[in-house]
Amino acid sequence: MTTENNGRDAFSAYHPVTLFLYFCTVLFFSMFFLHPVLLAISLASVFLYSVLLSGRKAVRFNLLWMLPVTLLIALVNPLLNHSGATILLYVNDNPITLESTVFGLLSAAAFVSVVIGFSCFNVVMTSDKLMYLFGRMIPVLSLMFSMTLRLVPRYKAQIRKISEAQKCIGCDVSQGGIFQRIRNGVHIVSILITWALENAVETADSMKARGFGLKGRTTFSIYSWKRRDKTLLAVQLALLAVVFAGMGMGAFETACFPFVRIAGLSGKSVAFFAAYALFCLLPAIVDGKEYFVWNSLKSAG
Amino acid sequence: MSKKPDRRLIFSVVLIFLAIPLTIAFGMSVLHDRRYYFVSVAILIYTMLPFLLSFEHRRPKAREVILICSLSAISVIGRAAFFMIPEFKPVAAIVIIAGICLGPESGFLVGALSGFVSNFFFGQGAWTPWQMFSFGIIGFLAGFLHQRGILNENRAVLCVFGGLSTFVIYGGLMNLSSALTVSPGFGQDVFWATFLAGIPFDLVHAASTVIFLLFIAKPMTERLIRIRVKYGLMEDKDSSAQ
Repeated sequence: MTTENNGRDAFSAYHPVTLFLYFCTVLFFSMFFLHPVLLAISLASVFLYSVLLSGRKAVRFNLLWMLPVTLLIALVNPLLNHSGATILLYVNDNPITLESTVFGLLSAAAFVSVVIGFSCFNVVMTSDKLMYLFGRMIPVLSLMFSMTLRLVPRYKAQIRKISEAQKCIGCDVSQGGIFQRIRNGVHIVSILITWALENAVETADSMKARGFGLKGRTTFSIYSWKRRDKTLLAVQLALLAVVFAGMGMGAFETACFPFVRIAGLSGKSVAFFAAYALFCLLPAIVDGKEYFVWNSLKSAG
Repeated sequence: MSKKPDRRLIFSVVLIFLAIPLTIAFGMSVLHDRRYYFVSVAILIYTMLPFLLSFEHRRPKAREVILICSLSAISVIGRAAFFMIPEFKPVAAIVIIAGICLGPESGFLVGALSGFVSNFFFGQGAWTPWQMFSFGIIGFLAGFLHQRGILNENRAVLCVFGGLSTFVIYGGLMNLSSALTVSPGFGQDVFWATFLAGIPFDLVHAASTVIFLLFIAKPMTERLIRIRVKYGLMEDKDSSAQ
């Protein structure tokens, strides 16, 4: 909700299941694995995707906010964390170790990829997609989620109405001394609560009258499985199988303490990283393909 | 009636004796410096699941459902109204009132739902499960202590409970989450550093909870109890559960 999809992104038009799988995987790996190659792949691809989604705004956000945060985490960690065996230098008798410096850099990169990844998630996984995904598994909780989302703007509008009415009789939060204002504010809130609760009971009765909780109800959705979704899911699952095989074989193992130990690159592990990179770059690949097809169609016509 | 607690028990047993050890084993063997972070997030989610799923399987009545939604929406609005002051939010206060007036289960749900939905306005992130759990457990605790007769509608008692629970539970858990994102394990230095750095924010949050409880606890409990008495909500649970 913070940023808007500008319509250039074709990947977000795919089926919610494939989108959810994409974000779960990328966020899981960048949250919990600290292998530098893996992190570089995640960071580069979420950065690319955020630019594809929100254009220049994303670049500005990433550079303005994410760069300082990265530097801060990377700097603070070696100053606070003195474990590790290789001492680089002393600051006020506190050892600065190579291990915690490396860990600081890696966890900063992980933090930033997770934040940028979630900023893409917020644009792509809109509430209706989440409703669709979880509506069948947990219907009551999904309904509650969607109702709460709906009630927020409704209550906002109601608060405005109440405070305008109160203004006419000199009881708005903008009128009177400081204590009077607080009292007026509390009064407005309690009016809202009374209204909201009465309204809730009415809504509940109306829901009950229309068969809430009865069996055999169906739900509407605008998402359908197309052939391209099947293809995408198959590709995703194949790549994930390779990535998880790599995880099982320890290709992504990284430990910073007491010594820095990072699983090296070999012919096999390059294949695992390539699979992960392909998976992370799926949005860019899909968008690139769409762009290419669109332009070639335009020039042909 | 007799089947439901069994299924819930089996589910919890499976989670505690199977899922949690497996998660820890996975974390220990595969994730080196991230194991504490991963295991703690996973256990948070496992702890919330039985609450949420038992509510789902109970087939709650429409009135219960919408009452919980309304309270969550009010706390989301409150958080949005004060968004320019960092950590100054009424969510904990409203969650505590919900727990006291409607019971521990509703308190937990209002807390978790407010945490989840408000992040659709403020941005989801790695902090979402932590916030959901912290607010939820504050509401649960308020309802539980109220049922035991320890916590009553007395404003002073409520404010002390609100301030303490916000500072200790919410602040403590959020500091733990930020410490685990930047540090490999339970290093004491890192914990004290994040805790100290968090103190101003936690104090503001605790103070805001106290202030909100001071002002809205009385009108809100009065109205909630009024609506409960007027429409007979949440009272006939036993008679209508069959």
